[in-house]
Amino acid sequence: MENLKSKLQGRILELTNPDKRRIFLRVAPVELLNTVRLLHDEYGFWFVSTISGLDAGDDFEILYHFAGKETVLNLRVSVPKTDPRIDSITPVIPGAILYERELQDMFGVVVDGIPDPRPLLLSDDWPAGQHPLRKDWTFNRPPEVIPGAKS
Amino acid sequence: MLADIVRWSRKKSPWILHLNSGGCNACDIEIIAALTPRFDLERFGVLLESTPRHADIIIASGPVTRQMKDRFLRIYEQVPSPKFVLAVGACALAGCVYRGAYNVLGGIDQIVPVDMYVPGCPARPDAIIDGVVKLLAKV
Amino acid sequence: MKFQIPIGPQHPALKEPLGLKMTIEGEVIRDADIRLGYNHRGIEKVAEQKNWIQNIYLMERICGICSHSHATCYVQGAEKLMGIMPPARALYIRYMVSELERVHSHLLWLGVAGHEAGFDSFFMYVWRDREIVMDLLELISGNRVHYAINTIGGVRRDLDESQKTKILEGIKTLQKRSEYYLYIGVNEPSFVARLAGVGYLSKEQAMKLCATGPTAKASGIDRDVRKEDPYAVYDELEFDIAVADTCDVLGRTVVRIKEILQSYTMIEQMVKKLPVGDITVKAPRRPKPGEVVARYEAPRGENIHYIKSNGSDRPERLKVRAPTLANYAATIEMLKSGFIADIPLIFAAIDPCICCAERSVVLVDASSGAEKTVPMSELRRLGIERHKNSPIKRNLAWLY
Repeated sequence: MENLKSKLQGRILELTNPDKRRIFLRVAPVELLNTVRLLHDEYGFWFVSTISGLDAGDDFEILYHFAGKETVLNLRVSVPKTDPRIDSITPVIPGAILYERELQDMFGVVVDGIPDPRPLLLSDDWPAGQHPLRKDWTFNRPPEVIPGAKS
Repeated sequence: MLADIVRWSRKKSPWILHLNSGGCNACDIEIIAALTPRFDLERFGVLLESTPRHADIIIASGPVTRQMKDRFLRIYEQVPSPKFVLAVGACALAGCVYRGAYNVLGGIDQIVPVDMYVPGCPARPDAIIDGVVKLLAKV
Repeated sequence: MKFQIPIGPQHPALKEPLGLKMTIEGEVIRDADIRLGYNHRGIEKVAEQKNWIQNIYLMERICGICSHSHATCYVQGAEKLMGIMPPARALYIRYMVSELERVHSHLLWLGVAGHEAGFDSFFMYVWRDREIVMDLLELISGNRVHYAINTIGGVRRDLDESQKTKILEGIKTLQKRSEYYLYIGVNEPSFVARLAGVGYLSKEQAMKLCATGPTAKASGIDRDVRKEDPYAVYDELEFDIAVADTCDVLGRTVVRIKEILQSYTMIEQMVKKLPVGDITVKAPRRPKPGEVVARYEAPRGENIHYIKSNGSDRPERLKVRAPTLANYAATIEMLKSGFIADIPLIFAAIDPCICCAERSVVLVDASSGAEKTVPMSELRRLGIERHKNSPIKRNLAWLY
């Protein structure tokens, strides 16, 4: 871990180790691709478990969970809600494409350079621009019809 | 007299179509388990069919998701009448745990008329066999 | 001449809806594309509105086959947030149910693989054995699937001596039968010929596409969460990771059977070493704010939950990534340069769970635009007939 700190030097914004086998690392969005490349080439983190999005008030936090042989490294990036754009990591790890598509769907974050931008999970007749996992999105349930009920 | 023969044959060997409209699979595994030697649904003459055009009974499970709604209706129309619908599991009855979720409509009877309900989460294979037999008695 | 085949959501075989679109040229698949979303139920949004205990029951119903794995992963994370550690007896019971669930899930898959390969009597035999496991689970927890045995702080039901003897007897019967299945899987020439060479995924591709579980283990990657991130019980048990080297469906079959045999030894060790003590620890109603990443080895691969709490009695964000989602990108790679007749088998080989698919293929003729629906049983029959006449490959190098 000390090794990682020295390699990344000025680019790390925050690095914590709350539990054994877990590391949380924060970088700026513009440094994302370089950091991922560094982790992939030098430290052998080739397996990205998932990409979580999080609605934290004023900005979106995107966490990339890398699972290595001894530790799980979670890389955190914050993008403002007014301009939610992030780079795609598929040039380094092609397997992350499905997670990025889900991120686009659920939060409306635009991923630059993604090879396949179609929505992943929402249905075909879903109105555009509605992103379910944002905190300010509410859902009005249509009234239920009970067959055979006396009205 | 011919109508009686037709009704007898329909009761004695119904062919079922298994349709999952977005559930968690537990009820579907129990439906398949109802066909295995321990619970044996096939002694009632039931055969698991593959295409809607050959089926008499639709056994449906799962809360209906928005994406599946149109497909479900299309398949329902493809099954030739007279057709019967059996809703298996608490999800198919009223949505089970997913009531209130944005992508779930809340039960099969919101979109098609249902003839028999089998409760349980998941419904045991014995309960499914009971449901099928009672439905056949109603035919 | 290429044309596209959509494989739509309703299927004759089993389980859940999924849409696939294959571009084919003759009989060879050139490209494939998936359409998920038929099963999207909005669970993550619902989880933010229910409190911590209600979420255990919601997590169980994400999937019907690996329900305990989602519940356990969630409870592991929640316990870490609350800073409590359940007593040793509770941990042993919890992970014993996990291993039983792994056995039941792999037996289910074996039956499905047999059914897709045309070996229906194998399917019936394996599901009969699976009933033994279901009875054991019902004895322990009260339900065949969705055994709500976890609670934050421990387990809800205890084991007594008669249950322990029944478990040991059941495991002994199953062990003899599973060794017979391993013998079939390796030595039966027609079964081997049907499965060998199908769905090839090389080790580099598996690494690039982040495959997990038996799909990756059959390509020689020996990563298992139980060894890397041992939680409580797993560092006190002795077991090996099953790995195969052939990178195809036959390798995946053998990996799963070997995992079943490992699980039997683990269950035996756990029953014999069961410590005495309480079964739960009191859990606070509200955890401290924080975030946690919990991982668990589900039967299909690595299950990961990310939970963030803000100190209230509801989680703020709960992210679930089920293992089958990770294997999809690898499936598309496997489908390319395969044959149409192998589609059911390749798809079943990743053991689809969250989007398990039933398929009825609609063949669209590019020139005339006419549609012809071909049910999956047709496809399976075509596949079986096609392989009946292919030469039996006897010179396979085996890693037994």
